[in-house]
Order: sequence, then C-alpha cells, then structure tokens
Amino acid sequence: MSIETLKICGLVILLAPLAGAILAGGLGPRLFKSRSHWPILLGVGSAFTAAIVLFREVYMAPVGETLAKIPLYSWITASAKASFNVELLVDPLTAVMLVMVTGVALLVVIYSRDYMRDHGQPEKGYERFFAYLGLFVFAMCILVLGGNFLLLYLGWEAVGLCSYLLIGFYYDKPSAAAAAKKAFLVNRVGDFGFGLGILLIYISFGTLEYAAVFEMVQERLLASGEPLTDGRLSAIALCLLAGACGKSAQLPLHVWLPDAMEGPSPVSALIHAATMVTAGIFMIARCGAIFAASPLAMTVIAVIGATTALFAASIALVQTDMKRVLAYSTISQLGYMFLGIGVYAADSAVFHLFTHAFFKALLFLGAGSVMHAMGGVIDMRRFGGLRKVIPWTFMTFVIGSLALSGVPGFAGFFSKDEIIHHALSAHWLLGGIGLLTALLTAFYTFRMVFMAFSGPERIPEGVHAHESGGWMLFPLFVLSVGAIGAGYLGVGPKIFHHFLEPVFAETFAAHMPSHGAAHAVAHPSFWQAYGLMVVSGSLAFIGIAAAYVMYVSQPWIPGLIRSSVRGTYDTLWNKYFVDEAYQAGIVEPAKKAGEICVGLDNYFIDGIIWMVTAIPRGLGYLARTLQGGAMQGYGLSMVAGVTVIVLLVFWRQ
Amino acid sequence: MNDTCIIMKLLPEFILLVGACGVLLLGVTRASLNSSITSLVTFLVLAVALGASLQAGSPDGTYAHLGLWLTSLTYYARVLTLGIGMLLVLANWHQPTSTERGEYMGLILLSLLGLLLTASANDMLILFFAIELVSIPTYVLIAMSRLDKRATEACVKYFFLGALAAALLAYGLSFLYGASGTTLLHHVTASGVTATLPAGSHMSGAALIGLLLVIGGLSFKIAAVPFHVYVADVYEGAAAPMTGLLGFVPKFAGFIALIKILAAFQWQLPSQVMWLLWILAAASMTVGNVLALLQKNVKRMLAYSSIAHTGYMLVALLVGPIAGRGPLHDGIAALLFYVTIYGAMNLGVFAVLTSFRVGDREMETLDDLGGLARRAPIASLALAICVVSLMGLPPTAGFLGKMFVFSSAFSLSTTHAFHGPLVVLAIVGVLNAAIAAAYYLRIVAAAYMGDEKEPAIASGGFPTRLAFCCCSFPLLLLFAWPIELSNQAQSATTEIVATAHHSNTQLVAIDSLTASVDDVADSQAPSSTAK
Repeated sequence: MSIETLKICGLVILLAPLAGAILAGGLGPRLFKSRSHWPILLGVGSAFTAAIVLFREVYMAPVGETLAKIPLYSWITASAKASFNVELLVDPLTAVMLVMVTGVALLVVIYSRDYMRDHGQPEKGYERFFAYLGLFVFAMCILVLGGNFLLLYLGWEAVGLCSYLLIGFYYDKPSAAAAAKKAFLVNRVGDFGFGLGILLIYISFGTLEYAAVFEMVQERLLASGEPLTDGRLSAIALCLLAGACGKSAQLPLHVWLPDAMEGPSPVSALIHAATMVTAGIFMIARCGAIFAASPLAMTVIAVIGATTALFAASIALVQTDMKRVLAYSTISQLGYMFLGIGVYAADSAVFHLFTHAFFKALLFLGAGSVMHAMGGVIDMRRFGGLRKVIPWTFMTFVIGSLALSGVPGFAGFFSKDEIIHHALSAHWLLGGIGLLTALLTAFYTFRMVFMAFSGPERIPEGVHAHESGGWMLFPLFVLSVGAIGAGYLGVGPKIFHHFLEPVFAETFAAHMPSHGAAHAVAHPSFWQAYGLMVVSGSLAFIGIAAAYVMYVSQPWIPGLIRSSVRGTYDTLWNKYFVDEAYQAGIVEPAKKAGEICVGLDNYFIDGIIWMVTAIPRGLGYLARTLQGGAMQGYGLSMVAGVTVIVLLVFWRQ
Repeated sequence: MNDTCIIMKLLPEFILLVGACGVLLLGVTRASLNSSITSLVTFLVLAVALGASLQAGSPDGTYAHLGLWLTSLTYYARVLTLGIGMLLVLANWHQPTSTERGEYMGLILLSLLGLLLTASANDMLILFFAIELVSIPTYVLIAMSRLDKRATEACVKYFFLGALAAALLAYGLSFLYGASGTTLLHHVTASGVTATLPAGSHMSGAALIGLLLVIGGLSFKIAAVPFHVYVADVYEGAAAPMTGLLGFVPKFAGFIALIKILAAFQWQLPSQVMWLLWILAAASMTVGNVLALLQKNVKRMLAYSSIAHTGYMLVALLVGPIAGRGPLHDGIAALLFYVTIYGAMNLGVFAVLTSFRVGDREMETLDDLGGLARRAPIASLALAICVVSLMGLPPTAGFLGKMFVFSSAFSLSTTHAFHGPLVVLAIVGVLNAAIAAAYYLRIVAAAYMGDEKEPAIASGGFPTRLAFCCCSFPLLLLFAWPIELSNQAQSATTEIVATAHHSNTQLVAIDSLTASVDDVADSQAPSSTAK
C-alpha cells in the first residue's frame, strides 16, 4: 500500500463532501438554486471514487500489511513528546465502511434530486438539505477514518448534530422538531457515557491514539506502569458501549430512531443504512481490543443485542406506518449485529452491517417512492394494491423485503444465518432468540408488502399516483443488485471475511471463550452448517406464508387476533409503553426540576445579580451626591481600589 | 554603523512612524478629498511593516540597546499587532468624514507603534512612554470617531481616568527604580540575561508598593476590576470600529507590560501579590459577566465581556511561564494565544456592527440585530462564529483559547503553594464561561430569531465586510489547525522562560496523566537557567 495514495484518497474522501456542503450551503441560495444538488453530487461522487481506490489499495496489499497510519498534522502539543494529532487509520474495516458509506450516500443524493422536488420545483430549503447531506457524509467519514479517539469523538458528535439538523429538516412541523430534539437528547445520554469512556482511556493510558491504546490493553498495562485491572477495562468498555447503544439505537436508548423518520425519506435511508446507526457497531468493532478483553462487556453486548432484536421485531408486527415498521426492523437488525459482536463474531456482524446497508437503504428509498406516489401518505391502512400503480418500486421493494426476511439466496440470509450460527454455539438461548426474531422479521416484512401492494387498488383521495422518475429509480435498481448479490461475498471462499480477518485476528477471534466453540464455528459439521440453513430458511418461508394467509387469503384473521389478545396487542401497538415510561419517569421530573430552577433563578440568582449591580449603582450615587459627576466617581473608585489594595497587602505583611 | 543597525533592527517601528507622519500629511493635502485613499495608504503602511517583520524573523534575544530588547515576544507582538492592525484599518475604512481621515488614520498608526514599542521595551521609561503612546492617540480617536455627544463624553472620561492610571503607573515605576537603582528591566550582556528587580525574599517594601501601583495602573489598561468602571461608557460612546480597537490594543499593551514587569521580578511574587492577582482575575470574570447579563446594548455587553476576558487572561498570567510546554501548560503562551484570538473575535463583532446602520444611527442594540440573518446571511454567520468563539465553544478557536488558559492553571506542581488556589480559579473561570453563554447566546438569538423592527441597511462597504470575514472564518480554520499559532506563542516565551524562577517550571499535575509518554528526562529538565 502506498501511503501517499492512501493519504490523497483519505483527504478527498473527507474534503470533497465538506467542500460540496460549503458550496451548496454558501452559494446555494444565490448561485446554484435548483441545481444545488450538483456540488454534493460531485463531492460525494469523488469521495466514493476515492473510497474505491482506497479499497483497492487495501485489497491488493500483501497479507500483514493491510494497516496504515497516516499522520496529517499535529493539532495540539501537550509537551515535546505528547501531542494530539490529526491522523487517519486505514485498514480493511475502514475500507469496507468507507465504500459502503460513500456509496449509499451517493445513491441517496441521486435519489434526493427528484425526491426533494414538488412537481419539478425544488422544495423550500433545497440547498440547505444538500448542504446538510454533505456535512453528514463528512462527519461519518471522519468518524470512520480517524486514527484516534479524539477524531472518533469529533465525528461522533458531528454525526449527531447533522442527524439533528436533517431529522428536523421540516422544522416548522412540530412533530419533526420534536423528533429532532428527541434524537439529539437521547443520543446525548449515550454520548455522555461515550465521553466518559474516552476520558477514562486518556486517564488510564495517557494517549488517545488507537494503536497505542490497544497495545497497552493487550499488554494489560496502564500509563503509570501499573497493571490494567479487569474492573477498569470493563468500566471503559461499558462507558463506550453506552455511546454505541445511543447511536445504534439499542435498548434502552432506541426510542429516537422510530421518530427519526420525521425527516425526509432519503435521510432515513442514510441514517438507517449507512451513517449514524452503523457508528455504534463500527466503534465496537474498531475498539475490539478493549471489548473483546472484557467478558462482562461482551456478555452485556450479546444480551442487549438479542433482547433488542426480539423486542423491536415484536413491535414491528403491529405498526401500520410503513416507515415505522422499517425503523423497528432496523433496530431489530442492529440487535442482530450487537448479538454477533457479543458472541465474538465481529466479522459476521460487520458482514450483516454491509448487507443490511443495501437492503435497508433500498427499502427506505422504496418507502420514500411509495410516499412520493401517495402524496406524502405513508399509513398502510390508507392505500393498498399498489403493485400495478408503481411497478418498479414494487419489484425493488419485494427484493429488499426478501433480503430482509432472510429468504435463501438473498443477501440478508447469509449474514443473518452466520450470526445465528455463532449465537447458537455460544448459548442456545441467544440462538433461539435469533431464530424466533428471524421468523417475526419475515412475517412483519411481508405483512407490510402485502398490505401495501396486494389486494384491490386503493389510493388516498385527491392523489395523482405515479411511478417515480429515473433519478429515483436508478438508486433502487443499484441497491436491488446489492440486496441480491452482496451476500455471496460471504459464502464459499468467504472473500469478505478473509478481507476483514487481519482486523479481528488479535481481538475478537483471539478472545473467543472456548476453543471448542471456535473450532466448531470455523469447521462446522455438515448438519451444523446446513441444518441451520434449512431451519432459518424455512422460518423465513413460514413467516411469509403466515403473512400471506393473514393479509391476503384470510384477511379476517388479524382482526380476530387483535380482539382476542387485546392487552398484548395494545402493548405492542404502544411500543411497550417505553416512551410513556420515559415521559413519566424522566421527562416530567426533569421538567419539575426545571421549574424549581426557574424559581431559583428568578428570586435567588437575580437577587444576587441585583446586589452585585448595586455596587456600581451605589458608587455612582455616592459620587453624584459627593461631586455631582459620574467621572469623578469613577476616579474615586479607582483611587479607593488602589488604596485598599496597598493597605491590605501591607496590613497582611 | 550603529545607527543604520538600529533602523534595520527596528524597521517595522520606523515604517510605522514614517507612515504615520506621511498619513498625517496626506490628511491636509487634496488627496484627502478622495474618500478612501488615506485608508488605503494606511493599510499599505501596515502591510509593508508586517512584511518587514516577517522578513526580519524572530530576534534571538541578543540585541539590547537604548532601553530596547528585541526578543521573540517582540516578534510575536509585531506580527499580531500589525495583522490585527490591518483588520482594524479595514473596519475603520470609512470612519470619520474624509477630511479628518488623515489625522484619524495617523493616530491609529501611532497607537499601534506604541504597542510595538511596548513589546520591545526593556526600560521603565521607555515602557511608560510606549504605553502612553498607545493610550494618548486613543483619547483623540474616540472623540473623532463620530459626531455624537456621547463620543465626546467618552473621550473626556477616558482621558481623565487614563491620566489617573498613567499617574499610578509612573508613581509605581518610580518606586521600582528606587528599589533596584536602575531603570532597566533586564541586564542583557553577552554572557546572559539577568533580571534587575529584587525578587522573592529580597523584595523590599518599596519594590512591593511599586509593583502594586504598577499593577493598578496597568489594570486600567487591561480593564480589570476595580479599574474597569470606565469601560462600558467609553465603549458605548466610541464608534463601533473604534471600540474594536479599544478592546484589543490597550489590553494587549497592558498585558505585555505586565509580563515584562513580572519577568523582571523573575516571576517570584510574594503570596500577597499572587492573591491580589487571583482576586483581580476572579472579580474581573465574575463582575464582567454578571454585568453583561443585564445589557441590551451589544456594545455595552461586549464592554463588560471584555472585562471578563481580561479575567480569563489574568488566570494565565498568574500561572506564569513554564518552559517549553506549549500553551497547554505554559501560562504566558496560553495568554498570548488567547489575546490573539480575542483580538480577532472581538473586532469581528464590532466590524459586523459597523457594517450596518439602523435608521440614521449605528446598529448597537439587540433589537437592532433582529432579522439580520434573513437580510445578511454571511454577516450573521460571521457574527455567530465570533460570538460562539467568545463563548468558547468548538469548533472555533475561542474554545482552544479557553482550554489553554484553563488547562495551564493545572500545571503548577502540586507542591507549589498556589496550586490549589489556581485550580479553584480555573473552576471559577469555567463557571463564568457558562454564565457568559447566556448573554452571548442572546446576540445570536437576536440575529437569527429576533423580529425585525427597523431594517438594518448595509453601510460599511466592502472593506468592513472583508474585515468581519477575515476576523470570523479563520477562527474555524484555527480550531482545526492551531499548531502554527500555538508554536509561535510557545516560542514567544523563550526569553521570559529563561529568566523565570525554578518554582514555576516544575510540572506535575497534568503530566501525571501522561507520565509514560514523556520520558523522565523531559520532566526533570527545567529549562530555567536563572542565577
């Protein structure tokens, strides 16, 4: 690998979207107007090209030389030897993430060109939208490319900020503003833990550079020379994990993601597939040295992942808002990834992240296309039978759904199956939850497909339904290819896993608890390997079949179920009342505390301020009565000041 | 040969002097009828002087002659003063009527010359004259800056109180002369540099009272409590671009003078003086911020905020120089870094105010700012960047400034008697920065969310717009890439560090965190060579 090439690629990946954002944001209103997508299209396009070149460099590199540190410049020097640097780290994990992030982002930008238009006219804030998109890509690339925890944190926070701006893009709509605020605040909770984790790392190891920190973790040494205890390591890992739970929407910080669909659909696609939610998974994978060495943290990750997967899938069963179903499916799929990492199969988790990016982006853009056709309506009870109305959207949406359901042959099947396989060999319960979730996934996905596309044609009144144009369909086609083909990178010769192997060889792979299990995973018996495939494949078909029966052939069944298990249904419909619980347990008390603070501020603080300001007022008054002019009063106070100072100092002596 | 040598060594100063005379002469010729030629010439004079300073590079600290000592601090101050000076001229481009502009611009150049001389002074007399050269033109400038009774009032107030401060300073310096027997601050010889003033246990009552009076007199220049009373009236009275000058030039000169005097005491201060500075710092921060909270006039608000910023900088001054550690530990480097950023961000706000008129008067209250974002997006963005930087939030250089100042407070060794109080002071500072956010945010909120009462009309023309752009957007760049400036700030302390006493140069606090990174030799080699 040539460092120079990597450096240029890295800089292009970072600066091109940023430059695009500045151009679109700065000159958009005056110069580009309805062409404001071009700077971003070019910026993200160049970033994608550079990411491909970078990927090729890493891919062609000989074994053992796939990691490169690229120092750019020194940010702050703390002393002659210690400094905070701006540096990039390129390894297979970075390369995969970059291609995925910039690729999906590019498609989203192309898609948005038409989506953000109303009858051919750009929506209000068109240039603002694209400027934010560029900034979002820049932030995510910093997060992925950064070579130390400082840059990781910078990207982490910047991604949070951009998501706030984009979710609240329709800021004059109260629900969008509330959703943006919710996303930001819930993420702050996680980020607080994340920040603490980084501080703990700095205090423990005296540096924030990845390589130096990981090396010291491997050697179990602190900066002071004392040994690193399990307790401290776990504390660091759990703090970082809190951040990951926030960004990747895991229990109990998942509440922001379903509301995040208030943003424009392309933004949802970007947040759910490529940026933002993948940040948590990426961070854990990147910090494998820390996480893998802490069995406690790994257990917590696995349990959180499995619980979230099942929890979110169950909620998705009853939702009627298309984007909300997809949002819960994202949470559920992210749960799978957590589960995968938790059972030391980080490569499978990243593989799932990769395949998921294709089909989830496809589904969200598809849902956006439906929404576009339905004049902004996304509630599936209000339309149906759209397969003839928007045939191309229907076709691509079904491909995405097949991939999400884990139907054999499609991308989701391979990656999800791997995670379940690893989970099963770690603990039967984890694997069992994985299988159950797979069944639910297939069911709710096709429930959505059948509700929206099958049956008699129903279209909301006053809407002229139409298929989307080429700018919107092209990304759907490209992503469909990925949703079918991406999975094959992980079978047979397992190209994907071999590529990532050097990243995880000394972390997750080395720490796998029992070698027996590791062996079983690496060399599964015929029945283990194919038996599971058959089981999970059949589960997918069973789920689809159940959805078909309930929503196409015997549509009276759902109503019967709904009325017979009223309580359960209501619980799911209300998402286990988590939002209500947070409202009652956290938000309301916080509001009460706020009111108390306002009272304190009005009476106590303002009183102090009044008293402090009384001093110059009093002096002025004194001066006026004494000499009849403010300036003399000022002079008097100066002289009095000097006198008091001199007297005090000499009196003390 | 010696004469040409002086001219070459002091080339930037001479360029300013000749330039100032030239611009004054230009004022009485017909050229002054052309509206901006005088401003342009002034700008070019500063540009040439800046070029000469950069060309000459950093002096090695061996040239000391006629009460001047050229050190790396001189170089830093030259580049900073001339750079900010150019921005000042841009902001003042259309200030007063074209017939008076020759005098106006000439006086600005003289004031900046005073600042340069302060940075090279090694003699109490020169120091005194240089400081007064900074101040005296500003008295006139305030009165000239606009045709308003308030400007005249501000001028008179500032003049009389300034005279009082000058008296305190001169009186204090005379005590110092009495204590040391020489007016020199440092003896610079081929064999080395020694500080002249009796320090530590040798400090006599006369030296102590002299030091107190000097601190008092200079506190007026830097606008520290309790010598701050004039600030709000004067800032409000002067025209906005002139206020931008008042916020930076006298403050910077005062801090340089304080650094020089304390360096002449080898930074060995009796604990009473340390406590005095501690109280000045804490009081300046708190009083400034609290009073600013009550203001509706942006200029008055920034006047009080300027008192608060003096407080932050005093924290760094109290830490003093620490060898070779950069602004993260070295108080003086942190101060120099901070004052640079402060100069830019403060001027930026005033340049934005200069660029608009509301009705027939200057834009100056929060109400005037209402709706600015819709009318002038770039100016509002520049304003927001400067204000966020004043607040000390990332991603602006103001954040780094505050971080350096406050982190330097932790770098005295834990055995040092003043370690604890400094940590407390840093905490007071951080709390103050939080209080300050309340009023700074009101400026941004007014510009972005306020309702337009009376439309603001662009009035400054291209130069003022260039000024606020040059003040604000580089703050973002400096956040991402501060290393050049912080290296310069670090090397500017070379001579000061060399004469400072041991006790401040030993570090423990923050380094306990980075002990493994710095090898032992690093922390055991204080670069102090004093005595």
